Amino acid sequence: MGGLGSALIAVFALMGAPLFIVILAAAMLGFYGSEIPLTVIAIEMYRIVETPMLLALPLFTFAGYILAESGLSTRLVRLTEAALGWLPGGLALVAFVTCAFFTAFTGASGVTIVAIGALLYPALQQGGYSERFSLGLVTTSGSLGLLLAPSLPLILYGVLVQQMDLGVEFTIQDLFLAGLMPALLMIVLLTLYTVVTQGRVAPVRDGPRPSIRKALWAMRWELPLPVVVLGGIYSGFFAVSEAAAITALFVLVVEVGIYREITFKELPRITRDAMVMVGGILLILAVSLAFTNFLVDAEVPQWLFEQVQRVVESPLAFLLLLNIILLALGAILDIFSALIIMIPLIVPVALQFGIHPVHLGIIFLANMQIGYFTPPVGMNLFIASYRFKKPVSELYRATLPFMAVLMVALGLITYIPWLSLGLIID
Amino acid sequence: MMLRFAGYFAVLENWVLSLTFVSTLTLAILQIVFRNVFDMGFLWLESFLRIQVLWLAMLGAMVASREGQHIKIDLLARFVAGRHAQFSKVLVSLFAAGVCGLAADASVSLVQFEMEDNLMAFGEVPIWVCQLILPVGFSVMGLRFLAESVRTVRGGNA
Repeated sequence: MGGLGSALIAVFALMGAPLFIVILAAAMLGFYGSEIPLTVIAIEMYRIVETPMLLALPLFTFAGYILAESGLSTRLVRLTEAALGWLPGGLALVAFVTCAFFTAFTGASGVTIVAIGALLYPALQQGGYSERFSLGLVTTSGSLGLLLAPSLPLILYGVLVQQMDLGVEFTIQDLFLAGLMPALLMIVLLTLYTVVTQGRVAPVRDGPRPSIRKALWAMRWELPLPVVVLGGIYSGFFAVSEAAAITALFVLVVEVGIYREITFKELPRITRDAMVMVGGILLILAVSLAFTNFLVDAEVPQWLFEQVQRVVESPLAFLLLLNIILLALGAILDIFSALIIMIPLIVPVALQFGIHPVHLGIIFLANMQIGYFTPPVGMNLFIASYRFKKPVSELYRATLPFMAVLMVALGLITYIPWLSLGLIID
Repeated sequence: MMLRFAGYFAVLENWVLSLTFVSTLTLAILQIVFRNVFDMGFLWLESFLRIQVLWLAMLGAMVASREGQHIKIDLLARFVAGRHAQFSKVLVSLFAAGVCGLAADASVSLVQFEMEDNLMAFGEVPIWVCQLILPVGFSVMGLRFLAESVRTVRGGNA
């Protein structure tokens, strides 16, 4: 009965049933099998109101949607170009830094490729980079920055692990700090790769160098945002949900009130779109609270740990196995669903192998970041294919070298815990 | 008649969703101002904000099911076409409607239990009122999945 039911639910999942339905059905089947009334599912779902951090989710998402529709992308590219464009491999560095920053604020929902990639792709080619290299670069950069504050997946990871009550204390601020060095490592490696392989591409300039002063002036209203938000969060002055509220208000005032790139008329639509995404994620989170409760009751994480231990013994081997599974998963599932489904299963097992939950979070997201453009079904491959009107097969080839570079970064991040933990543990 | 009602309801839903967000943002800002400028905190505000997040979640999910925007895996669905695709779509919608129905039923009993206890979430607002969005949300989503299966049967290969 249980086996047949699970198989049926799996088939429905593959046939395209919404994920929250799939998880809900699995939880119902589980509780039904243990003769527990289904009311417990509603009780668990209502537990969403006991997680104060979740308030940050709708607020940051709203801010991200507004920023994505504003002219920030153009201004940001201009500023980084003026500041970094003269370096060897400068234009590529511009691309990496802008994309990372933009993705941290808007989420890696493909917005970066559409908004920033579209600006950089022609610029890179004009700058002398080959078409394939430029294409690979903008597609890869679409998910760079997931590890930087205030990226939503990072916050969601913190929320998920904290409500599991594992006895290891850490704050969202710790996660934000932990992501800094790994993100920097990725950018440095990607830039090195660019300089080494595209060395003959000299920084070409038609006309004078763009003025940093002008670019700064154009962004004068937006510049305080990272200072206030990141400074506030990293210093611990603001709680994360407070920083989210301030970001949302700030962005609203600046983009709608001052730059006027978004009209009042557009606001209801943008708000609605943002909240539909939030609703989709939070509903999956709510039903998975119920499902996790069943898993823990049935001692599934413990069972999983014993199974894993039969195959691998050392933490290193476990991490290798984890990387393989997560890469595959990141290519199939969207990042939020992957987090919500896998965290309750993986974190308890990883803890038993002695892996710090903050380090695990960084590994998890670094994998997801690569999963975004892992063939054959990484989401950003399709977004780039659609945006730049190139066949997906061409994108596979273009992104492959970048993927190799990021795999090296992933390896370093995985096996040198200090990269993630150095800034938070003295 | 049904269609016109569904249309009005969709407009209402959009507005309630947007206004709930506006209220969330406003109160979150007010809370920061109270806390940092006047050094005051309101317990009810804290609770109210958290409950609003639940309402945002359910309302957003309701709109998502209206537009078929829920996150899904659908690996198989890409390889099926024509009549088979239509058939599997009907099955999936019916399955989703059934699961939503059960979830609505479970949330109704939760609300009933809370009505008996009649505890307050904040101020004079009882917990069961805050929970109402659960049965409402699941009922609306269930009905939408049901309507979708009917539409798919009628619409041929659409």
